Amino acid sequence: MNDSSLPRPGKPLGHYVSTAEFDPYSVEQLTPEQEKYFFASQRQLIWWKFKKHRVAYWSALILLFFYVVIAFAEFIAPYELTRRHQEYIYAPPQGVHFFKDGEFVGPFVYQRIRTLDMDLLKRKYAANEAKTYPIGFFCDGDEYKLWGLIPSSKHLFCVRDGGTLFLLGTDRLGRDLFSRIIYGARISLTIGLIGVAVSFILGISIGGLAGYYGGWVDNIVQRMIEVLQSIPSIPLWLALAAIMPVTWSPLLVYFGITIILGLLDWTGMARAVRSKLLSLREEDYVMAAQLMGARPSRIIARHLIPGFMSHLIASATITIPTMILGETALSFLGLGLRPPVTSWGVLLNEAQNISVVVLYPWLILPVVPVIVVILAFNFMGDGLRDAADPYQ
Amino acid sequence: MKRGLLFTLMVCLVFIAGAAQADEALKEPPILAPLVESGKLPPMKERLPKDPFVVDFAKESKTIGRYCCQLVTLLGSAKDIRMMTVYGYARLIGFGPDYKLRPDILESFESEEGRIFTLRIREGHKWSDGEPFTSEDFRYFWEDVANNGDLSGSGVPQVLLSNGKPPKFEVIDERTVRYTWEDPNPAFPLGLAGPSPEYIYMPSHYMKQFHTTYNDADTLAKMAEDGGYRNWAAMHTVKGRQYRTENPELPTLQPWRNTTDGPSKRYVFERNPYYHRVDPNGQQLPYIDEVIILTESVDIIPAKAGAGESDLQARYLHFDDYTFLKQGEENQDYNVLLWRNGVANQISLYPNLNVTDPEWNKLNQDVRFRRALSLGLNRDEINQQLFFGLAKAGGDTVLQESPLYKEEYASAWTNLDVEQANKLLDEIGLTERDSKGVRLLPNGKPMELIVESAGESTEETDALELVRYHWEQLGIKVFTRTLQRDIQRRRFLTGETIMTISKGLDIGLATPETNPEQLAPVSPSQPNWPKWGQYTETNGKAGEPVSLPAAERLLELYNSWRQSTSVDQQEAIWAEMLEIYSENVFSIGVARETIQPVVVDKKLQNVPADAIFAWSPTAFFGIFRPDTFWFEE
Amino acid sequence: MLRYIIFRFFAMIPTLLIASVLIFSIIELPPGDYFETYVAELQASGETVDPQKIEYLRKEYGFDKPVWQRYFSWVWGMLHGDFGYSFEYERPVSELIGSRLMLTMLLSFVTIIFTWVVAFPIGIYSATHKYSFGDYSFTFLGLIGLATPNFLLALVMMYFAKVWFGTSIGGLMDPVYIDQPMSWGKFGSIAEHMVIPVVVIGTAGTAAMIRRIRANLLDELKKQYVITARAKGLPPTRTVLKYPFRMSLNFFIADIGSILPNIVSGAEVVAIVLSLETTGPLLIRALKSQDMYLAGSFLMFLAVLTVIGVLISDIALAILDPRIRLQGKPEK
Repeated sequence: MNDSSLPRPGKPLGHYVSTAEFDPYSVEQLTPEQEKYFFASQRQLIWWKFKKHRVAYWSALILLFFYVVIAFAEFIAPYELTRRHQEYIYAPPQGVHFFKDGEFVGPFVYQRIRTLDMDLLKRKYAANEAKTYPIGFFCDGDEYKLWGLIPSSKHLFCVRDGGTLFLLGTDRLGRDLFSRIIYGARISLTIGLIGVAVSFILGISIGGLAGYYGGWVDNIVQRMIEVLQSIPSIPLWLALAAIMPVTWSPLLVYFGITIILGLLDWTGMARAVRSKLLSLREEDYVMAAQLMGARPSRIIARHLIPGFMSHLIASATITIPTMILGETALSFLGLGLRPPVTSWGVLLNEAQNISVVVLYPWLILPVVPVIVVILAFNFMGDGLRDAADPYQ
Repeated sequence: MKRGLLFTLMVCLVFIAGAAQADEALKEPPILAPLVESGKLPPMKERLPKDPFVVDFAKESKTIGRYCCQLVTLLGSAKDIRMMTVYGYARLIGFGPDYKLRPDILESFESEEGRIFTLRIREGHKWSDGEPFTSEDFRYFWEDVANNGDLSGSGVPQVLLSNGKPPKFEVIDERTVRYTWEDPNPAFPLGLAGPSPEYIYMPSHYMKQFHTTYNDADTLAKMAEDGGYRNWAAMHTVKGRQYRTENPELPTLQPWRNTTDGPSKRYVFERNPYYHRVDPNGQQLPYIDEVIILTESVDIIPAKAGAGESDLQARYLHFDDYTFLKQGEENQDYNVLLWRNGVANQISLYPNLNVTDPEWNKLNQDVRFRRALSLGLNRDEINQQLFFGLAKAGGDTVLQESPLYKEEYASAWTNLDVEQANKLLDEIGLTERDSKGVRLLPNGKPMELIVESAGESTEETDALELVRYHWEQLGIKVFTRTLQRDIQRRRFLTGETIMTISKGLDIGLATPETNPEQLAPVSPSQPNWPKWGQYTETNGKAGEPVSLPAAERLLELYNSWRQSTSVDQQEAIWAEMLEIYSENVFSIGVARETIQPVVVDKKLQNVPADAIFAWSPTAFFGIFRPDTFWFEE
Repeated sequence: MLRYIIFRFFAMIPTLLIASVLIFSIIELPPGDYFETYVAELQASGETVDPQKIEYLRKEYGFDKPVWQRYFSWVWGMLHGDFGYSFEYERPVSELIGSRLMLTMLLSFVTIIFTWVVAFPIGIYSATHKYSFGDYSFTFLGLIGLATPNFLLALVMMYFAKVWFGTSIGGLMDPVYIDQPMSWGKFGSIAEHMVIPVVVIGTAGTAAMIRRIRANLLDELKKQYVITARAKGLPPTRTVLKYPFRMSLNFFIADIGSILPNIVSGAEVVAIVLSLETTGPLLIRALKSQDMYLAGSFLMFLAVLTVIGVLISDIALAILDPRIRLQGKPEK
């Protein structure tokens, strides 16, 4: 039958079809901002949302600052780690002044005069306003080796020979507290990272397996987690630290401790991964991947995990403070790092003394960077977590 | 004439009346008065032995006190209540503040040829529950405890053996016993007077109920089970423990007796109404009615002392705490006294002569090496930095107060002479150095000396910092390692430790009668020659025989002391031992006579203002007789 | 339901068995044993010990027997209620723990209540006034408590309590009241001394709790039924408290598992610093000196409590939320 509405094959259609150029965006014009937003990758979206969380943003900057400082610890600290000042034991912090007789002269400190109180057996320090030592920058000071490799003696700031620059006072052997805090930061801040890395890896692999396979694998893993969580953490740390061979060098002990801390924290991560996987594995894309013949490890690693990686990172960020505090607790119990290794935990432990609280309170100052870092990690983690789900 | 006679008669009568009055003028402690009045407790005259021990207040610079009050002191754990036996220091024979031995609980102690000892108990001396203290208590211990296989599985206590042989024990009469050895046993009287005494007696009237010889085996088994003890022997041991008096029902001869059934945070020690010492007025001691012991976490004790929560405190207070304590003096009611520590040295380094590493073994055994290390230490700097210059530099040897002291012992090889030290090291052959200036061992490896510490004293940790610096000037790289104490012990015994840092020898206040065992290799607990010590202790079954002539001679001298019969003999032995030890620098002393702060309540009297604080022989407070301490109004 | 309970109950047994092996090996692994620690300690203070006596004691306590034999006798004893003997205190373990249990539990309960009382209002406020100044400041305050190392905070607070209020240093009550029967004076003293540990331990926990309440509540508040309720004119307080808040309490029940053992032993560090007569310091000391039975049996006790706690919380959750009860294998 000859249908007049349909043309013969190969011939153009009867209805109107414009031959003009077709612009897909002509119907709905996008402003440049909207364009940026809709075309942005997941990462970019997370970044923008994160930035909006002001406190988290600034926390991240502060942490970045800390890590840069510890990278150049030897350069930034006015004194070398083991440098003792016999004449200035238990010296209180020196104030930095800028104005002399009403005139601005730049930063300087007064000379310190020490007298001995033989009744109280105390050392007394007074500022001698007659003599001042200007603070110089990029000057020569104690010798050191940057990262143990590059010898140098330039310091970010210091005072000339004969002067002392104890910004936060000294301890019982006359060591500058400010320098020790900076060197100690190196250990404390990195212990958290490595420990979290350990618990990360363990948590993801074990939790991933449990969540993906379910069934008896899941059961075993859950029992294992239960067993580990049934033993209180501090006694477990104690026991593990006691097992560490005595002959290990301080570096190995340090790694041993990070591994202990990591080992005991992976359960939380594993649990989170497991529960997320249990729900996500029902998604269609997983079934599609399975049908296409992908191996379970590939499915877990390539498809499932990236889905909530940001959540994991957020949790991890919040675990780092626990590790830092754990290190201080271990030091307190006498099992963590000990002198001559210097970490914030060691410094705080040395301040754990009624004499310090009453007579030399500046030795408690290492608690300030501890609090700042922990708060920063917490806020940053909060921000990451909020930002991790940008489609909310 | 008649008037004169009458007058004399009257004077005599007054005297007689006065004398009679003096007898009745014995006042009871107020806390016991009601008990005496109601007849529950006999009056003081009957409670004391006929011939009590009169403390010489004049000689010991003490004042007469009054009966009252509680003394609070802080200790670190429930096990520490053994300190009450140490502080109480009631011994069969004991040291006085002049470091001379005299009978205390005993009426007399005779020694013949140094091997026959006759002990005589005071007439009328009673246990704290009123039962008589007799020779039966000695016999019970000897026959039924020390020689009972179940109770003394490890055999008769060491101090009761001379040349490995036990004594012949005889009961002469109700108040006299005799121990006879074939060979001299000078360790015996010393053991009886020790801060932790050798007990050779037990309250038999109380303990017999726990012994199978005197009580039915089934009853005992039931008693043990009810009490949670493994068997009757364990029960007997725990119930009869006199050193650490955890059993409130155990009768004692100490000035105060424990009335608290632990474990508790607060132990109350009440006065012993039958205590055998009196003051010059005949008043029975102790003056203080109760001693309260609070067990606290060790770290908190300086804070509590500084807050005035202890009336008498020295244990767990260190020099570091002094400034804080002194500042608290104004607001609280205490004084801080500056006593001195009585160990031979507060901080000592012990090179392990039995280390397994052959290079270090050779070095440690080379006297030149030890002397060099000692010469390289700037003791004055350490003294200044850590002790405010108030301690004394010197070696690990007796203190000035000891009758055996000679200047040359303390100063042997302790002056600072870096040049001489370097020369000695060069002499040994350690002339090669690496690029950093560290000397090389003969096998080519750099000299890395690892010093192991128990890490419990900040003084040791700090001293090590300085030691590290000093020995670096000699070309030796020092590393420190902190371990738990028991691990530290085990490591030096197996020879893994090269050097240990620890407290010095406990011979600070030694007298010729003191056992010189610490100067000779006799025990595996000595960090400088543990394997030799083990060899001696196990009679050759374990460890290694002594291979250094100097140490051999020390062992010889020690053995001859064990057989010595006179004080002169002992003195000569000590002199030679001290000389050999200090010349050979078998341990390197760093700082001695460091300050020991003692917190004393302002009202507490008869506590010496300046004294030496040591375990042996002063038993911490023991020698100063806490039973004579008293609180004024 | 019953089948679920029975199944979980039997699943407990292998868990506890593995835990017991783990605990035993952890205590036994470090070289040495209790007696070495004891001897070393005595010698450190200058006292001498007869070595033969130590060997004899070792044999008495069965330390010459092989490891597995000791393990089995320990487990066997525990199943019969015999928790063993403490070498340090020379008393049965049950007596030691029992005497401290009362005060420990009292402290824990007060701390938990403190944490809830502080965390709930702050959490709710934070959730309802998200990103406000109040939200930030409260979170900040809560976090400061978490961020400060406990031992230092306890020491400083203890000192100031003494200086400002005259509270005696450390302990859970003034020393004169120890071993005395309860009285108003004793009660007041305990209350006074409990402030420091409760605040120090509590502030560490409040931060976490605030965060969780906030997060969970926020999730609930976004749901449809809340918007409907508000639209229909329900006053704001009722809107929050009546349903969303109760829904967000799910995690509480999940928490019972960890709360139970913490009630019996927790806050060891603070208890050591403040010299409290609770079980925490007892446990730490036992572990350090390798007091085998005290440490082992106590840890085992805590493990049992945890497992029971988890079981209780799982059952409670299952009752409350049928979705959990019915979770199963993946669909293929």
